[in-house]
Amino acid sequence: MKTAIRTTGLTKTFGPKTAVDHLDLEICEGEIFGLLGVNGAGKTTTIRMLTGLSAITEGEASILGLDVSKDLKKIKPLINVSTQETAVAENLTVRENLSFMARIYGITDKEAMDRVISSLELEEVASQKAKTLSGGWQRRLSIAMALITDPKIIFLDEPTLGLDVLARRELWSVVRSLKGKVTIILTTHYLEEVEALCDRIAVMAKGKLRALGTAAELKAQAGKDTLEDAFVAIVEKEGTAS
Amino acid sequence: MKWIAFAQRNQKELLRDPISYVFCLGLPIVMLIVMTIINQSIPAVEGAPQVFRIEQLSPAIAIFAMTFLMLFVCIRVSSDRSTAFLTRLYASPLQSSDFILGYVLPFVLTGLAQIVITYAASEVLALIVNGESLPIGNMLLSVPLLLPSIVLFIGIGILFGTFFNAKAAPGLCSAVITGAAILGGIYMDIEAMGSSWKTVCSCFPFYHCVRYARLAMAGEFGDMLLPFAICCAFTAVIFIASILAFSFKMKSDKK
Repeated sequence: MKTAIRTTGLTKTFGPKTAVDHLDLEICEGEIFGLLGVNGAGKTTTIRMLTGLSAITEGEASILGLDVSKDLKKIKPLINVSTQETAVAENLTVRENLSFMARIYGITDKEAMDRVISSLELEEVASQKAKTLSGGWQRRLSIAMALITDPKIIFLDEPTLGLDVLARRELWSVVRSLKGKVTIILTTHYLEEVEALCDRIAVMAKGKLRALGTAAELKAQAGKDTLEDAFVAIVEKEGTAS
Repeated sequence: MKWIAFAQRNQKELLRDPISYVFCLGLPIVMLIVMTIINQSIPAVEGAPQVFRIEQLSPAIAIFAMTFLMLFVCIRVSSDRSTAFLTRLYASPLQSSDFILGYVLPFVLTGLAQIVITYAASEVLALIVNGESLPIGNMLLSVPLLLPSIVLFIGIGILFGTFFNAKAAPGLCSAVITGAAILGGIYMDIEAMGSSWKTVCSCFPFYHCVRYARLAMAGEFGDMLLPFAICCAFTAVIFIASILAFSFKMKSDKK
């Protein structure tokens, strides 16, 4: 499989604080890759660097063979990001939000909108203003706005944060439906989420990569039966060591 | 033409906010009516204030209406900056020039619409109160001539929206609205308030904006040139500052 994202010694510092510390990752095309970690682990900062929202302090990152520091203009049309907070235009309808996002990415395919609305089951709210939607629908719209630009890579930063169980499960099925079609980088606090969705998982703590592998590999590595126990063991072990 | 998509989004956000109609259109027309009523109660004696006469009042109110445009630009920019929506757009192919154009164009169009509506309301009032029409030709020529003033107020709005958050920025704009009304001589005769006060007012763009708008309405285009040129100079400085500020903030947000 081709490499979608590669980071080598990727580092981000804010003054004396190191948010991401020499991160080495290789993510394949079509993979759903989970970035797992407690608050302040460096997950969001990693995504911000990869999407050009934060400057890289040290190290290198490439997306589809393009250098993030030098080729950001070429990279931007190939990626999209759904941020932690809801990122929709509130006074625009669902359809208008999608059209707006498509146009700024130069997408003129009229059928793309119907396709995305259908695949994310947004038909019933298509004419509603975004501000009138529930949190779950807004998140769904936010992901649809990322999908309509036909990206090669999508960054989903805690997409189910604050959603109820049903809304979360519905979003899981949306993400699952994208498997193999798009490379997805997903950050989350929820262990059951990465276990249900991700092909591979990177565990981060204090800006460093602590473990990498499938859910089964992480459990085996930590000698635990559940991913939660494995995660705690990995993070605490490294915490004690450091 | 990605900026057009962004401009249309901003236009829709503005037009779908009912408060924008109240402030950008309703309030100036109410002021126009109230001050015309006040003028009717002032005895027509020699030395009576002229600023409430409809031909003096309407260009000043047209300028005053732009201060609310400034408020809404400011709210738009500061609100966008406070949400993840702008973060998402920073990660898109939009460039800083696309953002500036996207913010400016819809508000320029709204500003032009404000002038047309204010002047149309003034014409109706002039016919009712004075029984005679305002100089239609001068009024029509005034519309494009007021463009630098529109851009000036949009520039101030972008500048405040860039540097201040969604809570602080509208408060600052309110101070500018009050300042513009006082220093611009919207409802007072600055020429009659002494040379010291006139000198103070001359240091700000509002006085020049109102002055050239009144001279344009009166058809005194020769006398209009100097205040018009001063307004254009202020506009150039403020607008360039707003572009630089937004670009700087966009870069510093990425650090």
